[in-house]
Amino acid sequence: MLQLVLVVAYFAGCVALALRREKAQGRMPSTLLGRARAVGWGILLLPLALMIGGLFSPASGPIVFLLLLAGMLAVLWPAVAAKVTPLALIGLGLYGLVIIRALARGDYVPVYGLVSPSQGWARTYAVLSQMWAFLAFGLWLAWRMMNRQSRVAQALLWEKQKGQGEGRRPRWGLLLLPVVVMTIELLGLSSWFGQDWWRAGATVTAMLLALVLISLVPAVAADLALAVLIGLGLYGVALAAMWPTHIQLPSVYTDQVRYGTVWVVDRPTAVLAGVQGLALLASGMWLAPRALDARTRALFWPAPDAELAGRVQQLTQTRAHAVDTAAAELRRVERDLHDGAQARLVALGMNLRAAERLITSSPQAALALVGEAIQTSSTALTELRDLVRGIYPPVLADRGLPDAVRALALDTPLHTEVDIDVAGRVDAPVESACYFAVAEALANAVKHSEARHVQVRMQHARGMLRIEVSDDGVGGADPLRGSGLRGLERRLGTFDGILAVSSPLGGPTMIVIEVPCALSSQKTSTC
Amino acid sequence: MRVVIAEDLYLLREGLVRLLEAHGFEIAAAVDNGTDLLSALLERRPDVAIVDVRLPPTFTDEGLRTALAARRQVPGLPILVLSQYVEQLYARELLADQAGGVGYLLKDRVFNDDQFIEALRTVAGGGTVLDPEVISKLVGRRSRDEPMTLLSPREREVLELMAEGRSNSAIAQRLFVSEKAISKHSTSIFIKLGLAPSDDDNRRVLAVLAYLNS
Repeated sequence: MLQLVLVVAYFAGCVALALRREKAQGRMPSTLLGRARAVGWGILLLPLALMIGGLFSPASGPIVFLLLLAGMLAVLWPAVAAKVTPLALIGLGLYGLVIIRALARGDYVPVYGLVSPSQGWARTYAVLSQMWAFLAFGLWLAWRMMNRQSRVAQALLWEKQKGQGEGRRPRWGLLLLPVVVMTIELLGLSSWFGQDWWRAGATVTAMLLALVLISLVPAVAADLALAVLIGLGLYGVALAAMWPTHIQLPSVYTDQVRYGTVWVVDRPTAVLAGVQGLALLASGMWLAPRALDARTRALFWPAPDAELAGRVQQLTQTRAHAVDTAAAELRRVERDLHDGAQARLVALGMNLRAAERLITSSPQAALALVGEAIQTSSTALTELRDLVRGIYPPVLADRGLPDAVRALALDTPLHTEVDIDVAGRVDAPVESACYFAVAEALANAVKHSEARHVQVRMQHARGMLRIEVSDDGVGGADPLRGSGLRGLERRLGTFDGILAVSSPLGGPTMIVIEVPCALSSQKTSTC
Repeated sequence: MRVVIAEDLYLLREGLVRLLEAHGFEIAAAVDNGTDLLSALLERRPDVAIVDVRLPPTFTDEGLRTALAARRQVPGLPILVLSQYVEQLYARELLADQAGGVGYLLKDRVFNDDQFIEALRTVAGGGTVLDPEVISKLVGRRSRDEPMTLLSPREREVLELMAEGRSNSAIAQRLFVSEKAISKHSTSIFIKLGLAPSDDDNRRVLAVLAYLNS
């Protein structure tokens, strides 16, 4: 009784000290919940120390030592205590396995959690439930506190991002480790603490094999882990269903079956094995569609064929590009309007206002201002015109792609030949993408190629619009260098179009654009 | 002088009507779409027409097409095309029939009413008026055609102003030389471009065309 009072007083003292420390650092929440949070998870080390101490012996020496250590950590280094807490919980949970085994053998059992030493399957349940609670709580805490940015966490949980758009995928191959442990336990091969050398050797070999599989062929490791997991689950369910007969595995134990955390000795333990088997089965079923390798998955789930899947991925990518491009374009238009026409209209208004004030007192000055205003309005119009041309060129709107390309050729300060065999119009977005691709190709030819002649050929055949822009320049154009062509390639990609560049050093340069598209019957008029 | 106006923006149409009336023009018709324009052009036979390129119902180059269609039926029907933007392609199409009496200007040019009215009269008189923007695009091109390379820089300058629809006296004023010097230059231009001596107006049109095609 005195001990209990002392322990409670010690706990209270630790909590008070921890709170004082928080207060001294100027962080003191007013609500009760806030205060509880301020103390942190580290304070849980105190009851944990008590329980862990209880495992050793009723002797008070280790308990006192552990309690002092836990108190010190919780008060002085709350961050460290918080990190130790989940580990202690998981450790305590795992030790539950040892206790259950001892219970089944009828060995001496120390206090575990809230349960005092005693025999009987009810105790087994109590130990088991506590064990699961400790494990779950510990894992939850560990998960909560894990720094997701740390490299260890990333290596454990997620593969590194491979390229864009693939996203993160858990390393399901790691699943093999716990599965191997469970299998070893089931077969009675485990010798974690014992001195049985061949069993220890078998355990270590199995684990090493699993690690090799995981690192070399993670996809196979994941598949194997799932298969074994489901097999284990089925075996557990079968145990419960068939009790008292059972399927004899090539186990070390010849007369008894150990399944998961229980020895199956009577009906209740058989039911327990069945419940565990169901849990394994359920987790296996849940994981299967996620963790199986894509090729294996295709065997069970008649998946859409690979081509379709590839197509979906490609569409997702090009859609993302299209959305990005559209957004960037809108930003550019906004900026141009804001800095250009809008600013000029403001200036125009101010000029006119000033002219209005001056018109009676100083007509000459007013006249000059009006002249300036006219100039400004004309500049604003020019800027708007250029902007519109960059968004959707008027000739393209009026006449369609063939004439728009002809107009482009006319505006190109090089000798440009145009050869067009397209009778009809293609969809406006395709037209627009092709137009800007041709415009960029021609602009590049003017800027970089030192060419004398440029030829633009455009034809539509078998549902494919093909445009060739070739020059007789020096070549050496690198599509990866300029962002212009790549942007256009992405834009064409939205329509499954491609843009290919052939430009050996010394020339000639040829740019080919191909877009699958249909022609509408509407004829383009060239008068 | 009787004018037909085709412009779908009400404010601009009314502005043009007022401007032209103030300068003594008679408004034969002011329409706002391509269909009405064609009938107005063919029935009223105006001395000159002002046509916006983009008109209902299609809101594409309806105005330009109508103008070209009308000129096919009435060769040389003087038409001044206005637009928010200028395209060499359209300029060529307008000039292709070599009949003269065409103009192609940005709408902004209406701001300067004196020059605009002068351009309108030039077109009505069978001349050719191209917007300086079209001309400046042409200047940006490196010409490779034989006849054009024969022209001296001064002659090219004169040809540019000619394309803008300026008379010899206006060009002389602009370049600060005598009108006689300009007429010498233009004769030299016609000879170098291989244009036979004929009606001066027509030769000017052909010279501009040669320039456009260079």
